[in-house]
Amino acid sequence: MGFLSSKYALRSVGRNARRTVLSVVGIGIGVALALFMESINRGRDELFARMGAYSGAGHLRVVPEGWRERRDPRLRLADWESDLDAARELPEAVAVTVRARAQVLLAMGTHVVPVEMVGVAPETEPRTYRFVERVQRGRYLTPDERGAVVVGKAVAERLQVDLDDDILATAVGKDGNIEGAMFRITGIVATGSEEIDASICQVVLEDLEQLTGLAGGGEVAVMLADWRATDSVRSVLAQRVARGDEVLTWGEISPEFQGHLEQDKAASRFISLFIVLIVLLGVASAQLAAVLERRREFAVLSALGMSAGHMVRLVLQEALAIGLSGAAVGVALGMPLVWHLARSGLDFREYMGSSYAFQGVVIEPVIYGDMGAWIVPYVLLVAVGATVLASLYPAWFAARTDPAVALRVAQ
Amino acid sequence: MNAPIVVTRGLTKVFEIGQLQVRALRGVDLEIHEGEFTALVGPSGSGKTTFLNLVGALDVPTSGELTILGKRVAELSKHERAQLRLHSIGFVFQAYNLVPVLTALENVEFVLELRGIGKERRAQAMQVLDELGLAELAHRRPAELSGGQQQRVAVARAVAARPRLVLADEPTANLDGENAEILMHMMRDLCEQHGMTFVFSTHDPRVVAHAVRVVTLVDGRVSRDEEKPGEMPHAILPGIGKAPEPARS
Repeated sequence: MGFLSSKYALRSVGRNARRTVLSVVGIGIGVALALFMESINRGRDELFARMGAYSGAGHLRVVPEGWRERRDPRLRLADWESDLDAARELPEAVAVTVRARAQVLLAMGTHVVPVEMVGVAPETEPRTYRFVERVQRGRYLTPDERGAVVVGKAVAERLQVDLDDDILATAVGKDGNIEGAMFRITGIVATGSEEIDASICQVVLEDLEQLTGLAGGGEVAVMLADWRATDSVRSVLAQRVARGDEVLTWGEISPEFQGHLEQDKAASRFISLFIVLIVLLGVASAQLAAVLERRREFAVLSALGMSAGHMVRLVLQEALAIGLSGAAVGVALGMPLVWHLARSGLDFREYMGSSYAFQGVVIEPVIYGDMGAWIVPYVLLVAVGATVLASLYPAWFAARTDPAVALRVAQ
Repeated sequence: MNAPIVVTRGLTKVFEIGQLQVRALRGVDLEIHEGEFTALVGPSGSGKTTFLNLVGALDVPTSGELTILGKRVAELSKHERAQLRLHSIGFVFQAYNLVPVLTALENVEFVLELRGIGKERRAQAMQVLDELGLAELAHRRPAELSGGQQQRVAVARAVAARPRLVLADEPTANLDGENAEILMHMMRDLCEQHGMTFVFSTHDPRVVAHAVRVVTLVDGRVSRDEEKPGEMPHAILPGIGKAPEPARS
């Protein structure tokens, strides 16, 4: 398209100022709503990834061969120290820790509670499992602190124990024998979620090894600086872990939680798509009206020798100008919303209480919107993409103008 | 006599409007030669516009043969017909049909851009306007021009790319007598100076008087075809665009 054609297209946009303004405002409102939704979507993705990861899964977790299928806590890594080193060497990793798990029965007098005991490295565990920071009473484990246990509030209540009480833990040992050990309660954790508080039982890794007779770690959890890098870092780490061990993402560790997230995302995307679709139909209608109004003009252009392709480009260029204007209006309307969302968030506390657990993950009640560089391409894609897409039919309609018929009708 | 640039043999055109068939042309045999200044006359509904549309490759005949500049129109694709119009045919319409958002100069320049002419097109367009005495109107938009001025700009647009054939459908129908005279002189000048072939339809006997050849259509057929050598009231009018501003029509 030549310079004059572009000038022609731009001036044509301003020809019916009222219609153009309405189209631009319509696109702008649609873009602002889509921007708002996308900001929530991205913020929620980040929140869910963070919640999932810090609820113990890690962004990535190195697990023994067969764990993915059997989820057997008795499985141990082929070489946990080598896996731990490999994870620590990742530049994207901000925290790495090793754990082992075992199904145990905690007992105090006649009270018995089944729980998954986790053997941890106390110096790194709080950076990967945020709930242990919520020690309501007492304190968390210290490195090499043997014979000590930190339990959730619900566990303590069910056992009817308190700080400094000694409880008995029994587990199936390596050879199938029942093994037992006494632990003193040094801390009681209260997360606010009954479900989570009923599942917390941590000791140092060495104690768990001794209790179960199974040496080594059962998993290495890795926290990343940017959750978006999960898949790429996983590929790198998978090459470096010990033979037989494998690397899973937090979504694979908690498939139900990820499924819930995916459902949420699909619903949000559907709403966004619906908004864009409404905008698209509005623009298509306005553009078609504009083309119909100028049918004689297109006939004249055709008579002058303008090709169908040139005519399509002309209409699409007009759409591009409207789309860009709509993008500007969309940014002007949407940015304050997104900014507010990023700063203050959407607070669902009123509807779900201060804390809500799902599949062992505590859902935070405030979702903060994401505000980043993605906004520019997103706005352009939605505004220009929708407008150009909506103008394809009017453009095709213009290109099909039969000059003889259109001029005859006009006369 | 120059070589024919348009040849029609048994040319028919039938329009189907619902169940109704309208036979606009019923077998037209005609040759239009290079450099001719031909008027197409006849009552309303006689097929003048249909004939011009066919000769302008805007439409295709229902039957018969139509050859424009050696090309059989029936065998051309839509794109090829557009190319033929772009490179060889200029149009002047009764309702001027200038692009309203472009200035007079840009309207002329636009045709040159369509033909792929580069930077020099602006100077070329300006030269055409200047030659036709329209330089002072160059930067006005159609809404700022009188009917006569618009039609002169439309002629400038039609001839800017120096087409071999210029078709004008009732070019003076919306003009007053003075503007009609000016326009016809302009067209005759272009015909004589540049050897362009003009075919125009009209009802106006004063306009017909300018024609060298007059073809009369009645009921879709050629009823008379006469040449009028030596009867030309033609005189080149200098500075047409500088003539006193006629009343807007």
